[in-house]
Amino acid sequence: MNEKDQEALLGAFEARIERGEKIEPGDWMPEDYRKTLIRMIGQHAHSEIVGQLPEGKWIPFAPGFRRKLTLIAKVQDEAGHGQLLYRAAETLGKSRELMLEELLAGKAKYANVFNYPTPTWADVGVIGWLVDTAAVINQTMLAQTSYGPYGRAMKRICYEESFHIKQGYDSVVALVKGTPAQRAMVQDSINRWWYPTLMMSGPPDTLSTHTNLSMRWKIKTKTNEQVRQEFVDLIVPQIRALGMEIPDKVCQLDRSTGHYRYTQPDWEELRRVVNGDGPCNKERLDVRRKAHADGQWVREALAAHASKSQAA
Amino acid sequence: MNSSAHLNSSSEALSELLVALADDELILGHRDSEWTGHSPILEEDIAFSNLAQDEIGHALVWLSINESIGGKSPDWMGFERKWNDFTCSHFVQYPKHDYAYTVVRQFLFDAAERIRLQSLKQSSFQPIKEAAKKILREEHYHLLHSQGLVERLGGATEESHRRMQEAVDAAFPQSLGLFEPLVHEGDLVKGSGMKPSSELQEEWLGYVVPILESATLLLPTKKSNGKFIAVCAPEYGGRSKQHTPHLQSLVADMQSVYQIAPESKW
Amino acid sequence: MDTQWETYEVFHQSKRGEPHEHVGAVHAPDPQMALHMARDQFARRLNCVSIWVVRSKDVTMTDYQDGDFFARTTDKSYRDPKAFEAPDKLHK
Repeated sequence: MNEKDQEALLGAFEARIERGEKIEPGDWMPEDYRKTLIRMIGQHAHSEIVGQLPEGKWIPFAPGFRRKLTLIAKVQDEAGHGQLLYRAAETLGKSRELMLEELLAGKAKYANVFNYPTPTWADVGVIGWLVDTAAVINQTMLAQTSYGPYGRAMKRICYEESFHIKQGYDSVVALVKGTPAQRAMVQDSINRWWYPTLMMSGPPDTLSTHTNLSMRWKIKTKTNEQVRQEFVDLIVPQIRALGMEIPDKVCQLDRSTGHYRYTQPDWEELRRVVNGDGPCNKERLDVRRKAHADGQWVREALAAHASKSQAA
Repeated sequence: MNSSAHLNSSSEALSELLVALADDELILGHRDSEWTGHSPILEEDIAFSNLAQDEIGHALVWLSINESIGGKSPDWMGFERKWNDFTCSHFVQYPKHDYAYTVVRQFLFDAAERIRLQSLKQSSFQPIKEAAKKILREEHYHLLHSQGLVERLGGATEESHRRMQEAVDAAFPQSLGLFEPLVHEGDLVKGSGMKPSSELQEEWLGYVVPILESATLLLPTKKSNGKFIAVCAPEYGGRSKQHTPHLQSLVADMQSVYQIAPESKW
Repeated sequence: MDTQWETYEVFHQSKRGEPHEHVGAVHAPDPQMALHMARDQFARRLNCVSIWVVRSKDVTMTDYQDGDFFARTTDKSYRDPKAFEAPDKLHK
């Protein structure tokens, strides 16, 4: 294809996005668009299935029937979200086998927030409340993404994720209204999850190499900092309404802007943890690898049975 | 025809039945939920988690009826009762092991439940009758799924066959414990029309044996007078509260957070 | 060989009388298992009375880049009800 044709295709592609139309599988797209989406959607999918583990660990210990049922359902939803997202990435030409291979080989990234430990029951509620609120803000924005399959997956995910926030918040409220030990569990949890949750929206756009193209092609429509500010503005009043504190003295309302000020997370720590040096990175991937290895005979057997039946 | 004095079983007998049913569901549901996040493939993780939730939900149904006839609350029964007051079978206590054992256990349990629930649909005690009808409808999919997996994995590859055979060897004697007669068995049979456990077992064998054999699995059973009978010793003890050590650690885990503040809401 | 199995496209009918809608795809070893996977992945919360699954590779599709396949560039007003006179009764 000559340069003139390429330019024409790119022009038509960008005009489509400008009109607010979606790009569908099979449409011509610049290689950078495809690669960026595969990376983003893949990371998002990996985050969901790795994200099953910090809370899933508490299923055997969930206090009471309702919490037990709710937690199994929530962690199941996360598997479901992973499933939807891997499928969206597959429409761009990358197989789920390959994506999983990369994840398990430690070659793929996923949301850093899941590299932190969950030492107490309160973490389950706080994750559902804080982490899922941050996720929903990001995902609501992504539901408008220019790539059709990604947007469709996001809409479904947002619908389920909004339950998760309610479930988490409900659990936290029960603890806050409970014994001093239960209340203290919540404050300790908030102290540990505040900065990792702030990091979820990604580094400030000055430090991010990816924002430019993503914004231009409406893969995302808000900057990382915009999303982070939205999260802080929403969650700070909620935390204080429960009588809990935010582990950041700077976090006060700036009346001139109407937004809360906050201290930036330690981006050096993010870089370290994302590159493998976090408290739970190895543990999380070890669990995933073991599950994958243990399940190999099952996958192979069911496939073998299907071949035999078809041949018969 | 029974006299009106025996139109229903005593509440002690009914309670024993309800709690035994609930305990099997709760403990098996707990074991099943250990697979969430660890299943062989994403889609199966999602499917199996549904089974786990349903079972725990069924335990809640039985315990709620138990509460309505004078028993303690479901949360008390699950999260405050001593582990050696549970009346679940040994079968559901064993660790999840590998997927072969899990799938075989699930199939044997789902089949047993279907047969038991069909019998309970004839119960003269209305709440049990109604609950049995509802639960039976949900159980339909469970049996389809677990049976589907058994039929496929039994003879698919050398490895799957070996694992499934090992699973059946371990699980079969344990599963007979599902039919260990209850203490108040006589009362329940006479009073509320429940079929005797031995009859339920016979029906269950008639269902599961042909399916397992078609899946190329060998069983410690033989045919006699057109019926299947088990030739191995059953693993009893659960209904009389003689448990395996697995139950003790399972219940300790299950109750550990709740016990931080048992008077409080969670 | 260890694979994630083939994919099956899933169509979901939420209630009788409604059309089946495409809701996504599942990885499954065979069509019956695909029905199970689809039920658990797509009908956990939503009402559903019927599911169809079709192997993804059995779906024949038009090419987005072949927009002309659907071209309607010349006057088609003979297909548009507004282009015709109608007695008043019909407009109630």
